[in-house]
Amino acid sequence: MPRRVLLEDLHASLGAVFGEFAGWSVPMSYEGTLKEHMAVRREAGIFDISHMGRMLVSGEGSTELLERIYTKRVSKTKVGFMSGPTLALNEHARVRDDEMPYRLGEDEWLIVPNAAVADSMLSYFRETAESLGLEVRIEDLRSKYALLALQGPKAADIVEALGGGDLLGLKPLQFVRGVELAGVKLELVSRSGWTGEDGFEILAEPQAARALFSKALEAGAKPAGIAARDTLRIEAGFVLGGHEYGEDPKKWPCAVSLRYGLGAIDWGKSGFVGEDALRACRREGVRWIRIGLVMKKKYARMIPRQGYRLYVDDVDVGWVTSGTYSPVIGRGVAQAYIDSRYAYIGDSIEIDIRGKRGEAKIQEFPLVPLGVKTA
Amino acid sequence: MASDLLEVEVAGIKFKLDKSLKYTESDEWVRVEGGVATVGITDFAQKELKDIVGVELPEVGAAVKAGDTVATVESIKATAEIYSPVSGEIVEVNEKLLDAPETINEDPYGEGWIFKVRISDPSELDKLLDFQSYIESVKKRKS
Repeated sequence: MPRRVLLEDLHASLGAVFGEFAGWSVPMSYEGTLKEHMAVRREAGIFDISHMGRMLVSGEGSTELLERIYTKRVSKTKVGFMSGPTLALNEHARVRDDEMPYRLGEDEWLIVPNAAVADSMLSYFRETAESLGLEVRIEDLRSKYALLALQGPKAADIVEALGGGDLLGLKPLQFVRGVELAGVKLELVSRSGWTGEDGFEILAEPQAARALFSKALEAGAKPAGIAARDTLRIEAGFVLGGHEYGEDPKKWPCAVSLRYGLGAIDWGKSGFVGEDALRACRREGVRWIRIGLVMKKKYARMIPRQGYRLYVDDVDVGWVTSGTYSPVIGRGVAQAYIDSRYAYIGDSIEIDIRGKRGEAKIQEFPLVPLGVKTA
Repeated sequence: MASDLLEVEVAGIKFKLDKSLKYTESDEWVRVEGGVATVGITDFAQKELKDIVGVELPEVGAAVKAGDTVATVESIKATAEIYSPVSGEIVEVNEKLLDAPETINEDPYGEGWIFKVRISDPSELDKLLDFQSYIESVKKRKS
């Protein structure tokens, strides 16, 4: 049986269609993925992302533990900010998870692992702390707090309408704790998200999260499901485990190929898990590189999906890792790994779509314009 | 056509059926008129697929056998293959769907038809399901 999110009853009352994702029963869509997607790109949408992990890592050894786990120098992150995106690798320099640790205090961190690895990251943190003999407490907060994401170019307008004018001063990746919004007490509000749009992520006790979700809807946000969250992140160029990365070196190239986020890997840093393999991979030169693909007009409604192969004439030069239809530009779009010798931005490439070739253009992320607000 | 629509519910999913049509286990509907079968996908199928964003149609004039994949329907969620319920020749395809594939979501038994086949072996029609058997088939899959 899949696990249930804390606000399941609320989503059901909003007419959500549920589906299983990473072992959780999640609201996949409400009115329809295309509409929800456009609401987030042009106005505002609110997601319940409580299927994701939430763990509190605290104690004297906590920052040292994080430095061992991540490819970025997270100790440079100021209290009150999330680190930029970074990676937790295994010994093969393959990615366990991509995360943005929140620095709650000098020695106190909130980690939000992806849903599929939330359990394994908990035990990985515990085991790593133990093997290093570090003084660390790790607490699973998933049943204590729900996690919401209010996203879109009008997210700030919604927050303001709810009386949260003070929160508009939050810089990207900055957060505050113990605030009230629309009379609802929230544990933490950050200026962050996973859609490529402006927005806020909110940690709150279930009753408070329920109240805030409803108030955001009254203020004009649309409920948005996990299916739209996926199509939005594909356009924005954000990566997902099981698609763009995974731990198996036979299935995924090393983390350098991911070309993930500015500064996600700090080459000046040493002593993190997977470092030797990562440096070796960089020295050898990157064979595969992650790029974006947009179907050409003639093939606009052909949808590249995970596993479809890329071709130059009869040479197989890569594979699609995630694909969907972009309602913003009316084209099939994808993320893919391509042999780096063929990775010319702006060049065209063929994709084998169930035995037929469709042409796509190699493009940099994001694949659509972001931050476009309707009047 | 709307006159014959029946609303049913299986495992919490509500969908409409046209009593006058024939159906397949793979969720196509068939309307037979003058030796030509018009084919589309059922309301149940479009609800399962949800947001339909693309359709690939067969060539007019193509010879098809019952059970051949002749079209595909792309939704945000998945790609569905559409099989010809009968053997014969493709005589018409619904080209409007190329620009407006969402018509299948909006009007699956009407404007959302996909292709027409001139039937070469009328005995194949006997293997198709009536609406009651189709409901049973959906129930079996959803249980």
